[in-house]
Amino acid sequence: MKKKNLSLKEISLEDERFRISYYFSLEKLILSIQKVGLLYPPLVALRDKHFILVSGWKRVLACIKLGMSSLPVFVTEEEEELKTFLAAFYENLATREFYLLEKAEILSRLKKFGEDEKKIVQRYLPLLDIPSTLSNLESYLAFSRFEPELKRIIHEKNMPFSSVKLLAGYNPQERKSLLPLLLPSGQNRMKEILEDLMEISRRNDIAPQKILSSKEVLDIMGHEKLSPLQKADKIRFFLKKKRYPALSSRKESFDYLLNKLRLPKTIVVKPSPFFEEENFSVNFSFGNSEELKTNLLKLQELTSKQEFSAIFKLK
Amino acid sequence: MSKSEYFPQKIYVEKKSFDFPLTKRILKNVGPVPREVIDDPQEVLDDIKATKDIIGEGKKYLLITRQKGEFVKPCPCTPGYLGCNYFILNIDLNCPLDCSYCILQHYLTNPLITVHVNLEDLWRQLDIFLHRKRLRTIRVGTGELGDSLALDHITGNSLHLVSYFRKKRNAIFELKTKTVNIKNILKIEPAPNVVIAWSLNSSRIAHDEEKGAPSVEERIDAARRVSETGFRIGFHFDPIIRHPDWEKGYEEVIKKLLETVDPARIAWISLGSLRFPASLKAIIEERFPKTKIIYDEFIKGKDGKLRYFKPLRLELYKKIVGFIRAWGGEEIPLYFCMESEDIWREAMGWVPKGEENLEAYLSFPLG
Repeated sequence: MKKKNLSLKEISLEDERFRISYYFSLEKLILSIQKVGLLYPPLVALRDKHFILVSGWKRVLACIKLGMSSLPVFVTEEEEELKTFLAAFYENLATREFYLLEKAEILSRLKKFGEDEKKIVQRYLPLLDIPSTLSNLESYLAFSRFEPELKRIIHEKNMPFSSVKLLAGYNPQERKSLLPLLLPSGQNRMKEILEDLMEISRRNDIAPQKILSSKEVLDIMGHEKLSPLQKADKIRFFLKKKRYPALSSRKESFDYLLNKLRLPKTIVVKPSPFFEEENFSVNFSFGNSEELKTNLLKLQELTSKQEFSAIFKLK
Repeated sequence: MSKSEYFPQKIYVEKKSFDFPLTKRILKNVGPVPREVIDDPQEVLDDIKATKDIIGEGKKYLLITRQKGEFVKPCPCTPGYLGCNYFILNIDLNCPLDCSYCILQHYLTNPLITVHVNLEDLWRQLDIFLHRKRLRTIRVGTGELGDSLALDHITGNSLHLVSYFRKKRNAIFELKTKTVNIKNILKIEPAPNVVIAWSLNSSRIAHDEEKGAPSVEERIDAARRVSETGFRIGFHFDPIIRHPDWEKGYEEVIKKLLETVDPARIAWISLGSLRFPASLKAIIEERFPKTKIIYDEFIKGKDGKLRYFKPLRLELYKKIVGFIRAWGGEEIPLYFCMESEDIWREAMGWVPKGEENLEAYLSFPLG
């Protein structure tokens, strides 16, 4: 490996064959280079008389931002793609954690550069903190084929493996239709939407796209007064009701009866989770004995109401 | 895997297990199956992990090893629901059948079909265990972490187990199977405290979800043959699964069962609806992409496992209990596996006063 100074123009950045990182912010690195210079030169390889970047994308992009015209680099003499890539891989492995999509890119490159599948499973998955099964390898390879826009969202939302795996069950068109629902939602809600939609589709033998094109969904999406988050939430509820009709209907009946009881806001009556147990719970808070007495009287009044007895028949 | 007797593609014998009589018996019974003596099963497991379907791949191989821990353990049951005070014997682990809903896919870390061969330790541990419980009638079985008879043509364990338990009158011993591997059972003299039991389901579930298992009709016929030799028999409708026309499906099987076998020979029938830990769902989706059974209305129960929303469970149980009673099984002891007291009350009309009460109820037919 030789160290030399290269003009930035000499590095062909269009060639991304060894690139595994796409989403990063440069601010801190720019500050570091301004303060102490570029301490760790990037690694380049000579291919068809062009220098291409093997490792150090962030460093090179920071240098470009800083308006530098040249930078020190290491030039590898390795000509084999796999060995060249492994140099970059091990350099990164020793110094930082990989994000989920970076792991996907690494595994996809290993496969592309001819590494044996069994070896990837047994040697590289554990290095990436992924349980060593072929099925996990296949999942990550599927992630590497996702559309760039989706990859950006996955990265920005820091989506966990379980949700990203759900996305892999959808085709590109379906994934595109799902983006407006995923963008405003948090991690848990995203997962609920992805899971419920897929399970309704599988249970009822209906393509997800058909559910997403149903009148109910289109009406919500076309509603002018709703924010993107409100739309995503309404669709999430719509899917939940379709996925769990009996449970949803039980919840609705319970809420209806509770509403009719006109409880003060300080008193909360709750069923057991999923109505699995026979008991209900009542919660209220009080600051003095007068408040306690008022709440108890209110509760006593409730017991004589028909709607209150009806709650127990819901069991 | 065919529905005929199971033979592994290869047998791995852990070096320290080579000299046990059961090892020699297995190696003799399997005939020309390739075999290899290994120091550590981990070598084999590493190779299997690099295959697409680890669980399916593991079923192709038989591992002969020793039980290094306890053979006898209380059935883990599940927190928050009523247990039945059952004890399990871990002789064989894993099962050559490949049921989509099988909990072992999630439960066992070793995917190989595994036989523990240090039976002397088993008998010794059992002697101590049964002596400690001498004032109770204990129910013990081998069918929790594997099928009790699926390997019996290779191991011949049923012969030894029945002979052992015949002399232990404070135990009711159960062999639980989905197979018709009853050659050994038909050869031995029945013991009043030994129950041979079958897991049953609707024909549709058996066909679609119980890969490698004989049909329900074949199982019922095997039960008839065994009961006619004098053994008492048991049945487990577990897992009961909602599917299109489930009422008809379960009623047909129950009718067939009670028309084929003498209800007086039935020691018990247990009922349990489909339930599974959330992590099993991903395994089922991956291994059985066509199945729809996991997309019904499951909620997280008190034990954290997914189970049908209670009104749906209750509907299943009430109907099935009704079918059993209506088709001639009025006197058969019925019990739920891992259910709550209110389900017992509403579907059975009574609630056991704890696990020992249930144990006594199920031991009663023994006299």
